[in-house]
Amino acid sequence: MIKQVSIFVENKPGAMMEITEALSSAQVNIRAIAAFDTPEFGILRLVVDNPKKAKEDLTSKGFVVRIQEVIGVELQDEKGTLNHMLTCLSRANINMNYIYSFVIRQGRAPIMVFQADDEEKAKEVLTREGIKMIKEEEL
Amino acid sequence: MARVKNAVWQEKIRDPHIECMSRDEMQAIQSERLQSVVKRVYEHTPFYYNKMKEMGLEPGDIRGIEDIHKLPFTTKEDLRDNYPFGLVAVPQEEIVRVQGTSGTTGKLTLASYSQKDVDVWGECVARALSMAGIDQSDRIHVCYGYGLFTGGLGIDFGARELGAMSIPMSAGNTKRQIMCMEDFGATAFACTPSYALYLAESIREAGLVDKMKIRVGIHGAEPWTEEMRKEIEDILDIDCFDIYGLCEITGPGVAMDCIHHKGLHVFEDHFYPEVLNPKTNEPCADNESGELVFTTLSKEAMPLLRYRTKDITSIQRDVCECGRTLPRIQKFTGRTDDMKVIRGVNVFPTQVEAALLSMGGVAPHYKMIVDRVEGQDVLTVMVEVDEQYFSDEIRKLDELKQRVGKVLKETLGISVKVRLVEPKSIERSEGKAVRVIDNRDL
Repeated sequence: MIKQVSIFVENKPGAMMEITEALSSAQVNIRAIAAFDTPEFGILRLVVDNPKKAKEDLTSKGFVVRIQEVIGVELQDEKGTLNHMLTCLSRANINMNYIYSFVIRQGRAPIMVFQADDEEKAKEVLTREGIKMIKEEEL
Repeated sequence: MARVKNAVWQEKIRDPHIECMSRDEMQAIQSERLQSVVKRVYEHTPFYYNKMKEMGLEPGDIRGIEDIHKLPFTTKEDLRDNYPFGLVAVPQEEIVRVQGTSGTTGKLTLASYSQKDVDVWGECVARALSMAGIDQSDRIHVCYGYGLFTGGLGIDFGARELGAMSIPMSAGNTKRQIMCMEDFGATAFACTPSYALYLAESIREAGLVDKMKIRVGIHGAEPWTEEMRKEIEDILDIDCFDIYGLCEITGPGVAMDCIHHKGLHVFEDHFYPEVLNPKTNEPCADNESGELVFTTLSKEAMPLLRYRTKDITSIQRDVCECGRTLPRIQKFTGRTDDMKVIRGVNVFPTQVEAALLSMGGVAPHYKMIVDRVEGQDVLTVMVEVDEQYFSDEIRKLDELKQRVGKVLKETLGISVKVRLVEPKSIERSEGKAVRVIDNRDL
């Protein structure tokens, strides 16, 4: 499991920039970022190199932040690997709430981050299928 | 549709004896009634007995209306503390009706009526309807809500006293309102001014202005401007009148606008108005602004002495062009508290706070914004999402938004648009927080 930083954001100009600016000045490195379109408000989800520091810093600047454990999966950059993983989860009837991918991996295999209703079952399925989940240290 | 021009307007005065009475005669009636009501509350309501005892006051000390300033005040909080029947001055079996309005917290402000109280209420509304040129040949389409809210039933009681036809539509469903208005040949309609404007625009859009027989609009229960009155009048080519009342005192029919629109005539033989400096409690001179305070002179079930309305207005006592000697109160220029009237419903920020608290945890920071969109009041409540409310799932945040909306609707009695906002995004102010922004141009 890896740690994800979730931040409540209103849908207004500059909302995301305020967060990246705060993290930048706190010298926190963003590894993955995801935000989906919602009319009034949304949740900005980040994977960063120092989640604890990110939370402290953002909280002190008035943001509401939650750290959450999510599953990170390393997938070979080949055709069908994502489809394979999703097929396994789908067969096990696991519902996914969201999924996003890492921005930079410097030559290493891409990582998909997702959150499912039944995380334990998801981990079980992925282990059984030999799909590599990564740990916080491996990022 | 036939707007009556001032030149050919025929003033209808239901009770010329009372409504055009000399000041001396009126004061004699008021003095007699005040003495009687003070005696009754002293003898039958522990609340007033105790208040008067504390002040060293006995009913005999009140010899006439000029002694009214000696009497204790009554506030909305007193009504809340004595909820629901603590201020009743008659045996329980004599109460024939209750009506209510929102209180400062979750509980209602409740008023009780005896049969005579309901009759007096109907008579006052009948006087008000007459003042608007309505008589027994008229058909009054009532699209105020019927229920605990006094609007619908109040106009209905007046129509009955007058012998006019009442069309008890209640609020909502504009299409159906317009259909019935046309089909039943309504000649007058009664609703909040904001709904009147919306209805008028809808009638115009439907191209039905010429099909309507409406001649008169009776609108109150929320603040409106002269411009708004003229707008409704112009769209439908009718005459519109402002009606005032509050449930604590009786409901609509406490005061009424006449065709000269120089202020609302108070039926002071039943409801004695004072305008006081809210800081010193000293009476204001005529034309000087202060807080409007009412004493019910004839009420049986729940008489109130010097009830502070918290509405800011001024009073004029010169004889009106319509012939009435009844004093006139001006349109309200504000409140001494932060109550807002939204779609005819009294809304207090404290109610919003209580509702949010009822969801558990600490009440989040919030702000109310009142707008008028296409003639209708819209209340938006901004709620800051803090640690206790934030979830990593949009679905849960959506649920939260809906739950807040539901709790607020249940507490306030009107639908509310909820906006979840970032923490600290609602500005803090030194001292008293600004909880309400009213963008309506009233």
